[in-house]
Amino acid sequence: MAYKKMPLWLRGLRSGLVFSLYVLMILVWAFPVIWVIFTSLKTRTEIFTLPPTIFFKPTIEHYIEALLAQDILRGIINSLLVACGTTLFTLLIAVPAGYAFSRVRFPFRGRLSFFALLAQMAPPIGLIIPCFLILSRLRMLDTYAGLIAVHMTLTVPFSIWLMITYFQDLPPSLEEAATVDGVSPFNTFLKVVLPNVWGGVGVTAIFAFIESWNEFLYAVVLTGSTTKTAPVAIFGFLAAEESRWGPFTATGVMIMAPVIMVALVAQRQIVKGMTMGATKG
Amino acid sequence: MFKGREEKKRPRPSHIRQQERFGFAMITPSMLFLFVMAAFPLIMLVVMSGFRIDLTYPAGNRWLGVGNYLQMVHDSRFLHALKVTAIYTVSTVFLQVVSGLALAMAFFRSFRGQGFLRVSVLLPMILAPVVVGLAFRTMIMTPEYGILDYISMVLGFGSKPWLVDPEWALFSVIIIHTWQWTPFAFLVFLASLNALPSDPLEAALMDVRNAWQRFWHVILPMIRPAVVIVVIFRTMIALRAFAAIFSATGGGPGTATEILNLYTYRESFNSLNLGYGAALGTTLLVITVVISMIFFRMRESRM
Repeated sequence: MAYKKMPLWLRGLRSGLVFSLYVLMILVWAFPVIWVIFTSLKTRTEIFTLPPTIFFKPTIEHYIEALLAQDILRGIINSLLVACGTTLFTLLIAVPAGYAFSRVRFPFRGRLSFFALLAQMAPPIGLIIPCFLILSRLRMLDTYAGLIAVHMTLTVPFSIWLMITYFQDLPPSLEEAATVDGVSPFNTFLKVVLPNVWGGVGVTAIFAFIESWNEFLYAVVLTGSTTKTAPVAIFGFLAAEESRWGPFTATGVMIMAPVIMVALVAQRQIVKGMTMGATKG
Repeated sequence: MFKGREEKKRPRPSHIRQQERFGFAMITPSMLFLFVMAAFPLIMLVVMSGFRIDLTYPAGNRWLGVGNYLQMVHDSRFLHALKVTAIYTVSTVFLQVVSGLALAMAFFRSFRGQGFLRVSVLLPMILAPVVVGLAFRTMIMTPEYGILDYISMVLGFGSKPWLVDPEWALFSVIIIHTWQWTPFAFLVFLASLNALPSDPLEAALMDVRNAWQRFWHVILPMIRPAVVIVVIFRTMIALRAFAAIFSATGGGPGTATEILNLYTYRESFNSLNLGYGAALGTTLLVITVVISMIFFRMRESRM
């Protein structure tokens, strides 16, 4: 190994450089997030103190203020409803499709799975213009069902493709015994195959939830006073009161919190799911 | 005779037919959904682009044919948006690939404390783009009180008009997008570097002394598929960008950061001119389809 041939001082220098880069990277990517959390816990005067303070007495006043602002609490509840609904219905239709595309033989399989891939490439702004017109004719603007249906156009295609990769990893002999015993294909899927991919279903659910939870364009077009989601509410809040960084960051932290917690618990699986499509391709 | 007809009626054994029926049944809900909610709206978008659909004055709505497209050719704001989109897409993808690759090379084979770094680089990618955009607009890029501007002042570069000056604003939204998405390129490149078979790699590295030549002639050709994939993925995502720019600058100052997505949004949902908006959306659809076709060709021929 070329690395081992290096003189000791060069190896030391290399490790030192890599370590400084390591610290720098954590600073560049984690620091803005940490800074948002810090700001949310400072008093209003302290937020606008120069030089910025790193040690301060934390306060939760901004959280209380944000939660008392009607729009924001309601936005968080709405976001939760929409994201959970989107995740549930996405799994319900995408998991069976992923299974069929990866392990069942039927005509036009390749073409239909390619159609699912194409649906993912549709530009969102192009999709929302006709969807807005359709939903307004159906009197479904500002309804949970309308927003969930449109969010599912984002989540269903990638969920099908993610599930295909998880089903493909299973041994080909898995269904054989059940088929010989005369168990119906659907029961085989439900009772023999599905228990082996719960992990994959979980990762797919995480991605679908995050996508819907963070989504802004569809929500800002389709929602009104009843179903406004948290990203729309926080945007409206800051647009109206530009200098109120405290409640804004507190809301930002509340929007980030579920996602950060998921990231801490399932980081390995999320990174694998994200890079899998790219490294296997 | 009777038996022969029976056999012609079912050319395939029954268990295969059962499989096929089962397969179709399993994909029907999702395919039906994607047809109704994605394919049909896109067809409708193209049809809408041939009409004048103005929600503020519905009485004047009528068939225009290619009228919207003729208007587009002379619309300087559209041409400007096209230019901004091209600059934004090319520079963000380029910056992500170059910095992602450089970081992955630095950590290749000497990667310690993976967990902490992995969480740090994962964070930006899973945060709501609207929160990212608003945070940059306020606490990070506000003159004097924004932490980035403060650091710039402490380092002696002085306060910068991050989001206020037209040229700086375009630069800043490119930086925001690059900040948020370089981790993706980094993680993909690191994964594919770690997946390289080590023996041929060692043998090839032995022959080449110069570090730059090692990278250019040995490692880069080996991970070229990953580079192509990252370029494809990121270009597609950059063409969908909306929330981060919308919340950081709103397309401004003026129209300095108004990419095609933002202009289409404003035309459709602020001016309520859905027909012209649909023509802009159709243009974006065509651009996306053409670019993805070029990419598919590239992948097939090179790999």
